[in-house]
Parts: sequence; structure tokens; C-alpha cells
Amino acid sequence: MTNPQEIATKAEFLAHAFALEQESVDRYEELADAMDTHNNLEVAGLFRKMAEFGRKHAVEVERLAAGSDLPTLEPWDFKWADDEGPETGDYADIDYMMTPVQALQFALANEKRSRDFYGLVASHSPNQTVRELAGEFTQEEAEHVTLLERWIARHDSDTTIADDLDPPNIVD
Amino acid sequence: MNPLSDKIEPKDYKSDVKPVWCPGCGDFGVLNAITKALASLRLAPEQVALISGIGCSSRVPAYTNVYGFHGIHGRALALGAGLKAARPDLHIVVAGGDGDGFSIGGNHFLHACRRNMDMTYIVMDNEVYGMTKGQASPTTAPDWTESELTPSGTHARPFQPAAIALAAGATFIARAFSGKPNTLAQMVVLAMQHPGFAFIQVLSPCPTFRPEQKEWKNIVRPFAVDALPTSDPALAALHCQRDDGMSTGVIYVEARPVWKRSDMQEIAIDDIEQEFRI
Repeated sequence: MTNPQEIATKAEFLAHAFALEQESVDRYEELADAMDTHNNLEVAGLFRKMAEFGRKHAVEVERLAAGSDLPTLEPWDFKWADDEGPETGDYADIDYMMTPVQALQFALANEKRSRDFYGLVASHSPNQTVRELAGEFTQEEAEHVTLLERWIARHDSDTTIADDLDPPNIVD
Repeated sequence: MNPLSDKIEPKDYKSDVKPVWCPGCGDFGVLNAITKALASLRLAPEQVALISGIGCSSRVPAYTNVYGFHGIHGRALALGAGLKAARPDLHIVVAGGDGDGFSIGGNHFLHACRRNMDMTYIVMDNEVYGMTKGQASPTTAPDWTESELTPSGTHARPFQPAAIALAAGATFIARAFSGKPNTLAQMVVLAMQHPGFAFIQVLSPCPTFRPEQKEWKNIVRPFAVDALPTSDPALAALHCQRDDGMSTGVIYVEARPVWKRSDMQEIAIDDIEQEFRI
């Protein structure tokens, strides 16, 4: 783990790309369900939209992988830059009262980690085909970063979480 | 199933019941780690039983599609032990919180460690009773003053889960962080493969009643010693006692005879009734 530079075959690279998108979809859906449960419907909708984007990208990776025999990797065997997949985010950044801007910032951090992951593979993989493919993925993730930055700029920049008039952590 | 292979996916072990945990709760990470571990072990849902007590984290069986039993407060290990005795073929995973496991269930914890039945015990430790709205638990720091029940703190030394598990005789002891589900998944796999009682203390932040625990992600780190895991209880004890409780990794692994069903004295119902006849 923690060595994206060592990804050396196209099959290994695509296995990482598919897992990255699938884990992203799973996490966004989990977060959307949690926000639904806590009645933050706007952020729930936003997370669901992010899950849908991830699903479409996973289909693209599947198309690229058609006919290939991808390796089966255990969760701890992936060569992410960190222990976790780039687009799973951090639970500590989640709050039931989070605003849409904060949700977009969460997504932006995910996209930046993906871009950086693919960038490392693109510049360091020992395999030319992998480097080229990773370069394309880096470009695509960079476009996502730009898109999210534009969305964030369009929103009110106030990231203050509103007061909850019936907070859960008050003893009755 | 993963469309790229026949591999079982972690989400194949999740039920249709959506967690009601607070967004940002560490228990989401533990649920994900458990399902990832089950997928890695390629276990069929009917080969596994997930048993719990009471508390936020004890809701976990409902969120999976393996056999589940949401038991009574503090008795999850007793239920797990009974199930293991009746169905030794099942993989038993017991899960719950620090209050459930170390206070109400504290005595069961000690004896489960020393009995060494083949099961895995995962404690999601957030140092607070969350479901009852934020009271000090056995692992709460003595100077935590946010609860109305202990406005000047508990003044009690916190329970040391790993050190106590070691002293009580657990044969696999580890500490993990819920914010690292992949690392925790590997630890759960090792624990489930370990023959005997395996205990994992998972530092699992409560964003609602202990929001300061969001900082744990910047504090936890792997044990900085090559000596771990060890089978030397003295060395394990040394590292447990020297540590501030925020180092993660497998601490102790010991090969010791595992409790077997054949160890039990078999007795027929008729013979029992005979003993009660006047």
C-alpha cells in the first residue's frame, strides 16, 4: 500500500480505477442515506448526484477493462497514496447539519486526491501504457476539480453550520 | 457482485436497513470494515453470526445480512458464547460499545478472555454512552466534564481495554481506528482467522457527544515498535502501559488451546431430571 508509483500493468491500473469509482459510489450513497435520515435533504441530493457521477465513471472503466482479466485485490493491498481509497473522504468532515458548500468541498477534496493519485501513476509507473492511461485519467479528474471549484464559487461562501433548534446532544 | 469478476463485494453483506447513526459517526467505518473482511474471507452470510448488546454501535447486526442477534445490555459475549457452544461451525463476531462491553458487560468480558472460545469481539470505543445522550463510560477520561451526571468529571482511572484483555487471557489483542476501514478490515480478517478469543478495540469517534474526537484522525498512529505483535505477555503489557491509548496495530497473539464443545460435560435431560427428583 501507499505506492501508486508501483502500479505496473494495465490490468492492475484498471482494477484500481474501478475500485476507486465503486468505493466512491458506495460512500456517497451511504452519506446520502445518512443525510436523508437526518433530514438534510439538499445535501443528501447532492451526495446522490456525486454517486451517480461515480457510477458513470465506473461504467467507463468497465468498458476499458472489457476482455481483461483484472486482479482481485484485498482492500489493504491497493496501492493508494494513503490507506484508504482517494474518493472515500473522511468521516470527520461530515456533519448532519453540513451545508451544500461543505458537501461540495468534501467532494472537491476527493477529486483532488484522485487527480493526485492518477498523477503519481502517470509520472512514475514503469509501464508506458499505464502512464499514458493514467495521464488521461489525471486530466479527467482535473476537469472534475475545476468543475467543482466553479460550483463552489457559485454558492454562498458562508460555511457556518446553522444552529440546530432541537440539537441531539441536549439532555432533556 | 463485482461485474468485473465473480468476487463477492462488501456491500453484498449489507442489509436493506439504513443506519440511523449520526452522519460522521465512526461506527460507519466499522460496519464497512466488517463487510470488507467478510468479503475477503468469502464467507456465506449463513456462516456468520453477528451478536451485539445495547447502544448505538450495537445496532450493527441489523445493517448486515448475516445471522444477527441484538441482545440485552452487556450480555453480547454471553450470547455469543452460547451460540458458539450450540453451533461451533458458525463464525461468531460480537460487537458493541465501550459502555456495553466494559461496564454492564465487564464481567463477561473478563471471562470471555480467559475462556478462549473461538470468536471475535469488536468494541467500538467512543468513551461515552451515546444512545442515552452522553454520559461518561468506563473509558472516559477522568476530567471530562460535559455530562450533567459528572459535572466535575468522574475522577476514576479509565478502563484500559487492551491491558485488561491481556491480563484476563485474551489470545489476540489489537487496537484500530474506525477512520481507516481498510486497515481495520485486515485486522478483522486476522482476528476471525485466529483460533481463540480475538479482541479488537476500535477507536470510533462520536461526533455528537464527543465532537472533539474528530481530531483523533490526526492523533492515531501505528505502534512505532517492530516488536509488535508479540507472543510475550510481558512485552505486550509494557507497550500497553507505555502507550497513550492512541497507537494502533495488532499487539498480542498467543497460541493456546481453544475451548471446544467436547470440553463440555454432556448430560441427558433425563439424568438432570433424576437429580431433581425427591
